[in-house]
Amino acid sequence: MESIRELFLEEGVEERVLEDLRQLWESKVLQSKAVEGFAKDSINPSNFVLQLPANFSQTLQKPTASVVIPAGQRAQSFTAKASHTGTIATFSLPPGVTYPVHIPAGVTLQTASGHLYKVNVPVMVTQAPNQRVSAQVNKPLEEQRNMTTTITHNIPAQMTGLCPQTLPVPQASQPVLPSLHQSQLPQHPNIPLDQSSQPPVPVTPEPSINYQSSQSPLESPSEFTLDGIEFSPQPVDMSASSPLSTQLPVGLQGDSGNAQVLEFGASAQEMVERAVKAEEEAAAMASTNDTMSLLPDLERTPDSALKLEMELLRDYNFNELASIVQLDGTCDSSSEAGEEEQEQDEEDQGAVGENEFLGIINAEALKALQGAGATTDTSVSSCSDVDEADVEEVEEEDPLNSGDDVSEQDIPEIFDTENVIVCQYDKIHRSKNRWKFYLKDGIMCYSGKDYVFSKAVGEAEW
Amino acid sequence: MEPVEQSNDVALDIIITNVVSVFRTRCHLNLRTIGLEGNNVIYKPEVGKVLMKLRKPRITASIWSSGKIICTGATSEDEAKLGARRLARCLQKIGFKVRFSDFKVVNVLAVCSMPFQIRLIEFTKNNRPIASYEPEIHPAASYRIKNLRATVQVFSTGNITVTGPNVQNVALAVEYIYPLLLECQKTLV
Repeated sequence: MESIRELFLEEGVEERVLEDLRQLWESKVLQSKAVEGFAKDSINPSNFVLQLPANFSQTLQKPTASVVIPAGQRAQSFTAKASHTGTIATFSLPPGVTYPVHIPAGVTLQTASGHLYKVNVPVMVTQAPNQRVSAQVNKPLEEQRNMTTTITHNIPAQMTGLCPQTLPVPQASQPVLPSLHQSQLPQHPNIPLDQSSQPPVPVTPEPSINYQSSQSPLESPSEFTLDGIEFSPQPVDMSASSPLSTQLPVGLQGDSGNAQVLEFGASAQEMVERAVKAEEEAAAMASTNDTMSLLPDLERTPDSALKLEMELLRDYNFNELASIVQLDGTCDSSSEAGEEEQEQDEEDQGAVGENEFLGIINAEALKALQGAGATTDTSVSSCSDVDEADVEEVEEEDPLNSGDDVSEQDIPEIFDTENVIVCQYDKIHRSKNRWKFYLKDGIMCYSGKDYVFSKAVGEAEW
Repeated sequence: MEPVEQSNDVALDIIITNVVSVFRTRCHLNLRTIGLEGNNVIYKPEVGKVLMKLRKPRITASIWSSGKIICTGATSEDEAKLGARRLARCLQKIGFKVRFSDFKVVNVLAVCSMPFQIRLIEFTKNNRPIASYEPEIHPAASYRIKNLRATVQVFSTGNITVTGPNVQNVALAVEYIYPLLLECQKTLV
């Protein structure tokens, strides 16, 4: 949320928009009662965001920054602020928070990985259980953990991490952990997105967090019912994220590409978390913001970034996978291919319309080409000398033998310019012999220099 | 007394503005090929024809795939024929086995300006069945000359437009209608 806020501010988006989105999302979440009774394990010592339900004080809703809750604060701090209603306060715990941390009931916590944990009962978040559990699981997938942990580490402070409560870890979580890790890459699509996926969801962030520099083991076996209810397009996301999983390991395992991958993963996590925080729109906006913030990286490999993000999302069993759909659009990775296709189609379709204009414009230039492949127009007049011998002369009532007499078209058609424009057309208009061209997205070679334009308007008389 | 000579040739400038002619190429034409390879062509696939414009005799030709070509824009019959031949030559160069056959001028449009204005209502009354005048539809009175197969549109300003099958008929039509218009001229009274 914080990074979103910053990005919004940078772009001039009203802070209120962000707040409204967050409120809206929070209200929806609460209404759906998706967040219930999460079992929480050790606490993530890094920042994590506490989403206070509406009944908490609205004072927490400060557009400026997240409210940092000292580790020592107990429920009193939260209750003190629970004066406002209908608003949702989001604030992140500082990395220096030492466990255990007491979290009052009704708080929605979000881990660095973006998992949401609704605290229905006052819980204490500690580290101890996490270490144990995470250590077991992380060994086999140490590399990936390192990746993810580094990713989380790279995530800006605003990344929210939730330290799982010290509630008894669901027994299923532990077995889920290894199963999750093992099945992370290839089996993600198979993981059901509903409750069964909930344990894996917290599990994955756990190992990632485990390797953070702060070395605060994090386990998140808590259930995560939020996803099942809130986000419907899970299967879609899962399937969408499936390619990511295949690519993620590849990217992750490369040392050189790790940094880049990590950045993508960080962005993905960020996006995921934000998706969790706010509504889907907010998530989309966040994703866009994140993508924008990581634009240099994304530009390099937008596809991989997208896929990494999807992979991470899938690992976390996020219902926020719905945001993946939006992220796809924002990353514009697929649109490139689409654009190419569009351009080709449009150029093909416009070829007929354009050819005539090309012919008119470049008639002389094309004369010598004689129908070369690049140019569709061939100057008939230029070919006259060559073709006259080749063209058959049919005898009839009025023989056209007088090709010499009839075809005097060469005279005005001497252009000899290589000025070429390759573009798409918006509209080509003609009135008698006055032509008007409304072109777009073109490259032109004029006087030997190359130019590029997104719009071009031209007038000509024929 | 000297008989008042009515000169048969009115000293009017009959300006031919358009000559429309048709001819056939006697072969099927691939419009797409013409559209792609032809010079100064406009391909209209929705209509199914190709427009080819020529500069020298300023003409525009509508080319159909059947091989029928309508040539418009010429200012004289000879020019029309010349343009049509040039057009056929262009198609021949593209590669079609074109034959220049069945050339025919189908319409000639000319304008003429009378040195006087005309009272259209009186003109219509005088030439009841032949002339028709609907000011709400068209500001000109239409006069059809059956034997010449020509139509003259008479405007109150004194301008007239004549359309006929050929230039000669148009000239005859102008001469034919001149006295009729003279009767109904709007004199300053």
